[in-house]
Amino acid sequence: MAGLAEILGADRLSEEHDTPVVTPRDQAEVAELLTAATRDGLALTIRGGGTKRNWRAAPARCDAILSTAALAGIVDHQPGDMTLVVRGGTPLVDAQAAVTGAAGHRQRLMLEPVGGPAATLGGILSTRAAGPLRHRYGTPRDIVIGARYVTGDGLAAKTGGTVVKNVAGYDVAKLLIGAHGSLGVITEIAVKLHPVPDVERMLVLRSTDSAAVARFVLALSTAPVTPTLVEVHWPDGVVAVRIASTAAGADAQIALLRGLAPLDEVDAAAGEALLANQLALPFAGTGSVFGVGVRPTDLAPLLDAVALVGGTFAGRAALVAGDVLLPDEDPDRSSRLIAAVRGLGGTVQARRGADAHRLAAAAHAPGIAELEAAMREQLDPAGVLA
Amino acid sequence: MAVAATTPVLEIAALARDIVGPDWVITDGAQLRVYECDGLKNQREIPGAVILPGSTDQVAAVVRLCHERGVPFVARGAGSGLSGGAMPTAAGVVIGLSRLRQVLDLDVPNQRVRVQPGVTNLHVSEVAAPHGLYYAPDPSSQQVCTIGGNIAENAGGAHCLKYGFTTNHVLAATVVLSDGRVVEFGGEAPDAPGLDLLGVLIGSEGTIAVVTEALLNLLPRPQHVETLVAMFPSSETAGAAVSAIIAEGIVPAAVEMMDRLAIDAAKTQTPITWDTEAALIVELDGPLIEVQSQFEAVTAICERCGADAVRVAATPEERMEIWRARKSAFAAVGALAPAYLVQDGVIPRTRLPEVLNAIRDLADANGVRVANVFHAGDGNLHPLVLYDNKVEGEQDRAERVAIRIVELCVEFGGSITGEHGVGVEKVCSMPKMFSGDDLTAFARVRAAFDPDGLCNPDKLLPTPRLCGEVPGFHHTHAVEAAGLGERM
Repeated sequence: MAGLAEILGADRLSEEHDTPVVTPRDQAEVAELLTAATRDGLALTIRGGGTKRNWRAAPARCDAILSTAALAGIVDHQPGDMTLVVRGGTPLVDAQAAVTGAAGHRQRLMLEPVGGPAATLGGILSTRAAGPLRHRYGTPRDIVIGARYVTGDGLAAKTGGTVVKNVAGYDVAKLLIGAHGSLGVITEIAVKLHPVPDVERMLVLRSTDSAAVARFVLALSTAPVTPTLVEVHWPDGVVAVRIASTAAGADAQIALLRGLAPLDEVDAAAGEALLANQLALPFAGTGSVFGVGVRPTDLAPLLDAVALVGGTFAGRAALVAGDVLLPDEDPDRSSRLIAAVRGLGGTVQARRGADAHRLAAAAHAPGIAELEAAMREQLDPAGVLA
Repeated sequence: MAVAATTPVLEIAALARDIVGPDWVITDGAQLRVYECDGLKNQREIPGAVILPGSTDQVAAVVRLCHERGVPFVARGAGSGLSGGAMPTAAGVVIGLSRLRQVLDLDVPNQRVRVQPGVTNLHVSEVAAPHGLYYAPDPSSQQVCTIGGNIAENAGGAHCLKYGFTTNHVLAATVVLSDGRVVEFGGEAPDAPGLDLLGVLIGSEGTIAVVTEALLNLLPRPQHVETLVAMFPSSETAGAAVSAIIAEGIVPAAVEMMDRLAIDAAKTQTPITWDTEAALIVELDGPLIEVQSQFEAVTAICERCGADAVRVAATPEERMEIWRARKSAFAAVGALAPAYLVQDGVIPRTRLPEVLNAIRDLADANGVRVANVFHAGDGNLHPLVLYDNKVEGEQDRAERVAIRIVELCVEFGGSITGEHGVGVEKVCSMPKMFSGDDLTAFARVRAAFDPDGLCNPDKLLPTPRLCGEVPGFHHTHAVEAAGLGERM
């Protein structure tokens, strides 16, 4: 790894379990590193906060870790335009604190720190990680408005911009989001911000009847309510809905929700704790974890399937998307879950567990695998980030 | 410039008659002329042939014919695009998707609909309306523009401030790749594994694939809508009101602004009686109680920020009248001048007063008038450059002003296009916004989908042939430097 040390200086190179760790300070240094890695045939693994390493299959080879730790900090916050530009290695919680702490402004960054306080924006984008707020605000793909990145072979580029509306050029940010770092290193991210509402009120309900829960969620999706989140935790049957509005608007919507379905109401104070649990589920326990998604009308069969395999579901009840924690890493149990979700036409992504990635490896729709390979060939021709 | 159809194109046309039926292949000169341009009227090209397939399989078969012969093709919807994205290539084929206009599957419980690409934007909402649902993106041309074109351009509209763009409302798309393969991007369930190819397809201006089906997300119609128009003594005070509304934590469904010249134009088409320097249209939608309380706040903010009058639409008809005035402004400008150019640029909203002053100076210096209509909530400007095409040199001056306006947008930290796309119109402005390396990366993304460059070539990305040697554009890529590859 002498070559990598020469590029950035020895102080930017360390070692972790015999694997060198390089810590570039800016986009240009990342470009130099990836150009050298392409030339020398090295395989690099990108590391942000290191909280979701299991979310992609372990790379076949890792000659060095590229840490984004030194690519941190706020580049620009324009409160009047409700936009924020941050460097890719910035922990999300730091970016959020900078936004909410801006004096005289009531705005916030509606991504969620999936993986905890160490989770970086770059990592959240790369894993397309999202939580309860996605019901209203979407996933990173709906919040990111531009990015700077470096392709696998060292091309330092930008996509999008720093304004909320812009259709110039390809939306390469969409490709980088969810690519698990396989197409490039995200060095800078521009996001849009959202206003802080007057009030937020939570309604927490309980039912262990999956059909009743599904009826409630379906009724809610056509009712004149605009929740920011609709969560379900299963099989204990906790359903949480949060309304953000004016005080009068929130009261009216909560009252309407109460009338939608005969579910038992639980103390709303339990709601915030539930939300923290929802985000933490993929990292809790010791069993295998899978991200799953099905159509809105398949909520009840999904909940039943999760219960049948002894799993726990924490997710977005109306979309439907979330995480399933299994009690162990038994491949047979994992397979039964995967088959049930796919049987509903759903999607499965491995998060953790023995053989999880192999078991969840999807048979891609025809033609997609070739396109993905062509994209990797274009943006990472030497397979540095494979 | 008209070029005679080349032999491979005529061969494709002949073979296509067996695929799509003889009535759906056009090679006659006069009929081809119908397709020579889209909404960008000052750029024209007669295609070699126009083929109108009736199914995904037929589209794929036609694309395969083109691919086998290395003939470029351009997919076309309603041809209402404003950047020349559907302009034909002279030696190429236009694949018209106007026959693909079926609504395939309306899934009410899951709030989505699968449609063919030739379905118009408005028709989607009409089909969904009996079930209390609608399709959120609403470009001004929604009565005629098609879903295929909306996907190509990532269409927005007045209400995207709150609801987002096409890219936020498409769940899946069936596409024909440039070699004729049919693939599906996205899916019925969230979080399709793998790369977000759907995300890069939307807004790719027809350069990476031809969409033949799309699965669209529908929303429940808001319970309540309130609309007002506030008359301000200047664009600056109106702009300050927009900032104040948003700082209050309110996200209006739409915030639109028209300056005096645009208002004067609208008056020629609609019965409005607005007499002011800047009219601000604000619309709120959502649950009744929320909208009512926020609407009071918005009204108060407008008054506090110096509005001379605030008129609230008391009936749905009055609301329609306000929107008709806004949406008619583009075409109505035609009543004020023999010709005009529609521009589309984006600025950070807070820079609005400076940019408007700069546009005014620019117009004065060049002896043309500029009417301003914009989506004020998201900083998307639509300056309309008025000119007389019978006065020698005036069109050139107008075009220079139009280009200079989008360059100003970039200098103020914005974008050369917010919703009309790059197309052919702004292809040579791309280097103002993007570096050579940025453009190289875009070119590589395109090559992953269309290695032979047959799918709507010469759009979106500048080439030295189109734009001359643009400084900074021709950047040597590492692969070239290493002698591993070369530019074609």
